[in-house]
Amino acid sequence: MKPQTPHRRPGELVFALLIVVFSVGALWQSYSISGFSGKTTPGVFPMIASGVMVISGVVVLMSATQLPAPPEGAPGFLAEILTLRHMVVIGLVLAYVLLMPLIGFVASSAVFLFCSFQFLWRKNPLLMLALTGVTLVIIYVVFREVFQVVLPQGILLQG
Amino acid sequence: MYEILGFFVTTWTDPWLIFLVAVGTFAGIYIGAIPGLSVTMATSILISFTFKWDVNEALALISGVFFGGVYGGSRTAILLNIPGAPSAIATAIEGYPLAKRGEAGEAIGLTTVMSVFGGFIGIIALALFAPVISEFALMFQSRDYFLLGIIGILLVGTLSGESFAKGAFAGALGVLIGMVGLDPMTAEGRFTFGSIHLLGGIPYVAAMIGFFGVAEALVQLNTLNTAAIKQKIDRIIPRFSDVKKYFWLAIRASGIGTIIGALPGTGGDIAALLAYDDAKRSTKNPERPFGTGNREGLVAPEAANNAAVGGAHIPMLTLGIPGDAVTAVIIGALFIHGLKPGPLLLVDSPHLFWFIVGTLALANVFLLVFGLTGIRLFTKIVECPKAVLIPLIIVLGAVGTYAIQNNPVDVYWMLLFGVVGYFMKTYGFEVAPVILGVILGPMMDSNYRRAMLRSRGDFSDFIWGFLSNPISLVLTIGLLLMLISQTPIWSILRKKLFQIRE
Repeated sequence: MKPQTPHRRPGELVFALLIVVFSVGALWQSYSISGFSGKTTPGVFPMIASGVMVISGVVVLMSATQLPAPPEGAPGFLAEILTLRHMVVIGLVLAYVLLMPLIGFVASSAVFLFCSFQFLWRKNPLLMLALTGVTLVIIYVVFREVFQVVLPQGILLQG
Repeated sequence: MYEILGFFVTTWTDPWLIFLVAVGTFAGIYIGAIPGLSVTMATSILISFTFKWDVNEALALISGVFFGGVYGGSRTAILLNIPGAPSAIATAIEGYPLAKRGEAGEAIGLTTVMSVFGGFIGIIALALFAPVISEFALMFQSRDYFLLGIIGILLVGTLSGESFAKGAFAGALGVLIGMVGLDPMTAEGRFTFGSIHLLGGIPYVAAMIGFFGVAEALVQLNTLNTAAIKQKIDRIIPRFSDVKKYFWLAIRASGIGTIIGALPGTGGDIAALLAYDDAKRSTKNPERPFGTGNREGLVAPEAANNAAVGGAHIPMLTLGIPGDAVTAVIIGALFIHGLKPGPLLLVDSPHLFWFIVGTLALANVFLLVFGLTGIRLFTKIVECPKAVLIPLIIVLGAVGTYAIQNNPVDVYWMLLFGVVGYFMKTYGFEVAPVILGVILGPMMDSNYRRAMLRSRGDFSDFIWGFLSNPISLVLTIGLLLMLISQTPIWSILRKKLFQIRE
């Protein structure tokens, strides 16, 4: 129930186009499962789902084209939607999930937490280091001991 | 009857379970209250941590978090004018002006009592109606479940999102994600692209944590430095005369909340707004105008959104169709524990049903206790900066996703869904229909095929089934009405009818 934005958001058209392309690809993939060979084949339902995606995607695209373009001087895609902050955080998470199988949960989380605390909060690095340590200890105790979760172990570093 | 009572008090007599419910409710209040953390996010992550636990223990904790979380959003709404959860939007409209007048404590006290009151109404409705509906649901056939699935997804998509097309797209995307992997009926691979990682399907917990956790964390990056304004708090326990005065209003609001919660696809947020609207129209001589700290406007949404918790459990437990996003996640939890919510749940495992009812009731009692205490500690915790919260959500999400199958690939999925979810949210798509689609998609697929097989693949016989059976007919008409209401035909029709009435 959000209010309808009077203007198109930056990048909205591209996003709408992308979802249409993705949906058409999904429809084609669904068709290649079992084609039109029967009404109860495994491919029928995926075709229905991706068909709905194509139709609704086209409607979304059409209504996006009907909206007026973002006003002159309004913040662009990189200033409003995918800001530097978002890119850095997504990059940090990507590095985190890729590092985790290599150096294990504790080491990778320590690096990730420290870097992102430092980047987002910009306080004294020593304070951030202490915060990272405390957070990690709490997470480790709660999840390893209370929830008994298996924490990811690394190939290079155990645990 | 005694047997039922025995199941009901399971939680009330086991100190460990009592403790878990208490911890869950307490944690839920804070999770619901801290802007940036949501109940859906917390339950998604909790499922992954508790899936090795005994099912009773896991449910005790999750039910507590659910109840506490729905309530918790109201506190930040009153104190900071930031609804901690969507279901507290209406609360903020009236609660924050009250806080500015220095009546924050009283507002919190009143919302607590009314939330608990609404919660009990919802639970009583669950206990009374679920057995009836479940007996009725035994008559449902495959095509009815197929229809219910579509209706549920479309309701979530259309009532909360920006447009019908966006809701339908999100739901269909979820269904598609749910299709990945081996087809359960023929063991044929779907969308596996020859990769062994895709044969087992995409774990829905990864999708839940990605869409509800990581995506939300990325959205929160936009409001990293919003400063909170502090309020002073004095008296919390509400006056008995106030409680008495708003009693009937709370009953009405709870009724609205329970019904809205019980409709598949609509939850506490819509219940709260409708109850607020109803209070606005039904209050004859308000003490203060609505929007400036009116108490009726505070009581109604709070009673309604907690009543919706019990209501939302009704379709989830009797039909296997989640009532809102959180129950969609809880259904995932039941699946993981090898349980199958649906009409047979009450027949096969009545103990579980009554256990859930008992646990919810206990969580509601704890809500009263924690709701009226600990406000000072609360104001401290809520000030936790987002710069700390966001990385924490991501770490917890990663551990949780990994814990399900000990597979790092799932964590990559989580990140991918998080980024996709962020863009979807930014461009006005709701992510809840995606999760509903993931959960309900396989169920709809198998029910569609079963119904089609029963018609021996004859298309006209299949369609005839929707019209000849009374239950299917009602559901079909409901679905058609929903679809028609989204097309231009609807507005033309309405105009015509309106003219006739004039």
